[in-house]
Amino acid sequence: MTVLEVTDPADAVQRPPAEVRFADELARLRAADTAARPPGWQLSVQAARRFVIGDPKLAVTRKFVGDPSLIDRALITLATSRGLMLVGEPGTAKSLLSELLAAAVSGASTLTIQGGAATTEDAIRYSWNYALLVAEGPSTRSLVPAPLLRGMAEGRTVRFEEITRCPLEVQDCLLSPLSDRVLAIPELTGPESMVFARDGFNIIATANTRDRGVNDMSSALKRRFNFETVFPIADFGTELTLVADEAAKLLRRSGVTAEPRRDVLEVLVTTFRELRTGETARGDSMERLSAVMSTAEAVSVAHAIGLRGWFLRGEPGTTEDLVACLAGTAAKDSPEDLAKLRRYLSQQVTWRKGDQWKALHDARHLLPG
Amino acid sequence: MPVTFLGVRHHSPACARLVGGTIARLRPAYVLIEGPADFNPRIGELLLGHELPIAVFSSYRDDARRHASWSPLCDYSPEWAALTAGEAAGARLRFIDLPAWHPAFEDRANRYADAELRYAEVIARLCRSFDVDNVDALWDHLFEIAPEEGLAERLDAYFDLIRGESRASDSDTAREAYMSTWVEAAAAAAGDRPVVVVTGGFHRPALVAAHARAASDRTASERAAPDDAAPGRTASDGAAPDRAAPDRGGASWAGGEPRPAEADRGWPAVPGMPDGAVGGSFLVPYSFRRLDSFDGYQSGMPSPGYYQELWESGAESAGRRLVEAVAERLRERKQPVSTADLIAARATADGLAIVRGHPVAGRTDVLDGLASALVSEALDVPLPWSSRGMLGAGSHPVVVEMVAALSGSRVGRLHPATPAPPLVHDLDAELARSGLDGIDDLDLDLARDSDRERSRTLHRVRVLGVPGFVRESGPATGLEPVLRERWTLRPSNDRLSAVIEAGAYGATLADACAAVLAERAALAGRDVDVLAGVLFDAALAGSADVSGRTLADIEATVGAAGELGTLGKMLAVVLTMWRHDRVLGTAHSGTLGAVIAAAVRRILWLAEGVHGGTAPAEPARIAALAACRDALRHAGDRLGLDPSAALEVAGRVAADVQAPPDLRGAAFGFRWALSPARPTSPIPDSAGPDPAGPDPAGPDAADVIGAAAGADDGLDPVRAVRGAFQPRGAGDWLAGLFALAREEVLHDGRVVGLLDELMSGLSAEDFLVALPALRQAFEYFPPREREAIADQVLARRGRGGGGRRLLRSADDPEVVAAGMALDDLVEAVLRREALLGAGHDRS
Repeated sequence: MTVLEVTDPADAVQRPPAEVRFADELARLRAADTAARPPGWQLSVQAARRFVIGDPKLAVTRKFVGDPSLIDRALITLATSRGLMLVGEPGTAKSLLSELLAAAVSGASTLTIQGGAATTEDAIRYSWNYALLVAEGPSTRSLVPAPLLRGMAEGRTVRFEEITRCPLEVQDCLLSPLSDRVLAIPELTGPESMVFARDGFNIIATANTRDRGVNDMSSALKRRFNFETVFPIADFGTELTLVADEAAKLLRRSGVTAEPRRDVLEVLVTTFRELRTGETARGDSMERLSAVMSTAEAVSVAHAIGLRGWFLRGEPGTTEDLVACLAGTAAKDSPEDLAKLRRYLSQQVTWRKGDQWKALHDARHLLPG
Repeated sequence: MPVTFLGVRHHSPACARLVGGTIARLRPAYVLIEGPADFNPRIGELLLGHELPIAVFSSYRDDARRHASWSPLCDYSPEWAALTAGEAAGARLRFIDLPAWHPAFEDRANRYADAELRYAEVIARLCRSFDVDNVDALWDHLFEIAPEEGLAERLDAYFDLIRGESRASDSDTAREAYMSTWVEAAAAAAGDRPVVVVTGGFHRPALVAAHARAASDRTASERAAPDDAAPGRTASDGAAPDRAAPDRGGASWAGGEPRPAEADRGWPAVPGMPDGAVGGSFLVPYSFRRLDSFDGYQSGMPSPGYYQELWESGAESAGRRLVEAVAERLRERKQPVSTADLIAARATADGLAIVRGHPVAGRTDVLDGLASALVSEALDVPLPWSSRGMLGAGSHPVVVEMVAALSGSRVGRLHPATPAPPLVHDLDAELARSGLDGIDDLDLDLARDSDRERSRTLHRVRVLGVPGFVRESGPATGLEPVLRERWTLRPSNDRLSAVIEAGAYGATLADACAAVLAERAALAGRDVDVLAGVLFDAALAGSADVSGRTLADIEATVGAAGELGTLGKMLAVVLTMWRHDRVLGTAHSGTLGAVIAAAVRRILWLAEGVHGGTAPAEPARIAALAACRDALRHAGDRLGLDPSAALEVAGRVAADVQAPPDLRGAAFGFRWALSPARPTSPIPDSAGPDPAGPDPAGPDAADVIGAAAGADDGLDPVRAVRGAFQPRGAGDWLAGLFALAREEVLHDGRVVGLLDELMSGLSAEDFLVALPALRQAFEYFPPREREAIADQVLARRGRGGGGRRLLRSADDPEVVAAGMALDDLVEAVLRREALLGAGHDRS
């Protein structure tokens, strides 16, 4: 009853959970794992760490690009009595990281609560099968456990996505499970009315810094979490390689045989990084765009550039395609962002060396409006 | 004659322990240390009993270049351990590296920076395979908190791997060749007693290889005199440092003269400075703060406060002290740190140490633990110890305190018997030469050369922060025509200690002052006012031309500036100084030129970002655009500023409905004033209503202008004025226009006529709404020009008389207002009684 019942995951499911996608790697790590495991864990901390940041010796791929120390801190937090809160800009792979950590620690990443304005306590703790409830009264049979209850009872990691999208009072139902490690079910009587968390239970929550201030967490809840900020990829070369690889993969899947041009991608990634950080390579500060300029967005723009170039002209995409695509991703429906983008293209591009930068400047008129 | 090569990382406690232990065990005849060889005759000064950290400061100046660099030493520096252990073992101590002024050090300010950082690729691979964030974490992991046994072998393997096959840079090769000559000379002199060589680990493989080559050569020639590395000089110096007599050092810093030959036993020559160059090396007090503030290729091991603790009492205690210090600092600043937090921090640190395979919690373990436990919100910038850089702006307050605790606040002090730094002598000499060394009240006339010289000297002393020199009055902004300065000189008892401290900045008054100003410029951050102060001080002190690095700092400050007004104010001052100032000698100074170029760029950038709808006019930001216009007009050609890009920006601002009216008007005036061709209106003074909306230039105007600056499209003032003339914003828009294109408006009669027409068309109420801003706008014309405008208006209406009369309203405005109110009342009564004919309506 833990994971999706899938006969042939590769065929039937668009995106199987991490523990299915990387089942081989997990098995190899488990077999080679000699270090002590924290109580309730499927792997030792060291092996879980290798699962995320990779281990060439066991043919474990690197799944998360970022500081290894972040993974260390996250895993140690999960082994202590505080929850782990991953915060960061959208598109920084927080959810992927939380999925990987849950898969490594508990062998299952599917005890997931998706936070949102409509999330209620029912979706977090438990609800009832009302037919049985009416027929038999409250009992363990009529109880329908939600992820939190199951995680506590089974000693597993529970993921809470976008926790700050939930109303404050809903968030606060995590307080006693996190501090006293117990969940009361007042409708039941006897020992069944208290579910005590078993070893291995902990919570990984994610929150988006763009939502800061919308449903700010109570300080009581904050205190029960250790915060880890996930940053966009710090190193230009790493990000460029990642974008190039992922875009090439997507383009092949779309039937494009032309490889994306490296110099165009360089301009693309530089532009994204500068608009994201609000600082140019020369050190000038700018206002950031309100749109999300994540690596994932850069990949999708690179994909779109390749598609345009290939299907419109039968060649790899050019810088003109980049400008045309930027309007759609970066500016979206915001005229302010469009103005910022126009300002960037006309004022912050001319001083750079390179043909593609010049082409970018010349193509600035292709921005709509 | 065995030679032991110890490759170390500078400022590494583990290496210092290894060096100390090895020297005590081997009791070598010679200890050779990577350090400036020209300091050898005075190496004894180092062992007088200072409080560390101190530094050997080296300065150099010739016609072409200036250079200052430091070789910092603290208790746990391997070089320091080599000096002290070597002395205890009775060894002879020698520095064996090229002098700091040598071209091989041209771009180095810190001799003990990490050389391997210049070869980053292999470091990145090592970090990857050990799964650590950066070289500092890797170093701690492998050496500082690793078990001591096998340390030497690990170090050698580490540095061999880093050096690998990579070809060292020319400067590293030159240094290694020179150091090798010392090694061979010492090996020959030591006979069969051991020699210990302590250098940066990056150089060790090259030195070992060179030594092996030399050994095989030696069988052929027993007396291999090392002379090839010091071209043009015979072996003359370097031997027999007189440890007992350090007193002659202080004054002998001026270079250029070869030192007397003390022994000619095949010791390498110390390269002499080129003719005409001055410089030298001497001891100065240093501080942990400065030790920790090198960055980029200049940086070495970070966190001196932490490593000092580790050196004194071990890693475990250092970690504990760090937690205590952070908690203390945070509680002092009223940040909540609960016992539960500290327990959590400790538990996390210990857990991390176990996961990372550390016997005790190391630096990053403790820091990560503290960050996990104490930071309970999203960070804006990454943790500084994960990326190996300076503390970024926007760091979390907890992180700021953690970094401060790591850095420590220790300040070194020289033993009183140390020869004073040359700055002390230079400053005294300068003051005496200008007759400024007594109690005095001075009144200087800056137009006179001799007084200006004295003023410069005084300003330099003031910039160094030497007490007792106070300027009572004088030029304060660079704009006003003040040419007299008043100073009060009151010699103070604290002067000597202040000068000794300042001695770390330079050997001469001018150099030290330039270095202090450079440091201030680097610390300015985004504060343009601070930067303006630095530039003005530099002008007053006559050191307006700064190094490339400082120029980069200045440009960074301008590039990060966020406020149009302050930047415009600075640009106006700097531009005036650049254009006219022959008194301070800043006319056409390269530094100021670069500042002007950066400020123009930044003002244009900022101007396009101001969005405020109908905000009232801000004279400061209008002035910024005006300064920008002046810069393009008067300095554009000479500084290579691009007018077409500027006009393109102005075109967009003028057409931007979101921009505040004053800025739109100013941008329009900017284009008008700078367009090469004067615009001519296709419809001369059209009287009929023009349907041009509030967006007269049209969004595509920018493009047209970009293609052909000065084209008429969008540059028709009549259309523009008509479009912008709405009661609420008209005055603000006109203020911008008048400020930027005053003369153009005067010369083009159509604008005045059109304004007359438009204002006559305003209803009484609209006129009152528009009046204050209109008054402000016309303030931009001096009285004489206002009179000319009044003349034009009168002529247009066919009235005679001078415009002057119109401007001189002798009546009390309150009487006028009361009269108007009475008129309104009468009119209202007449209207009520239906006594007012339809034809008599006031227009």
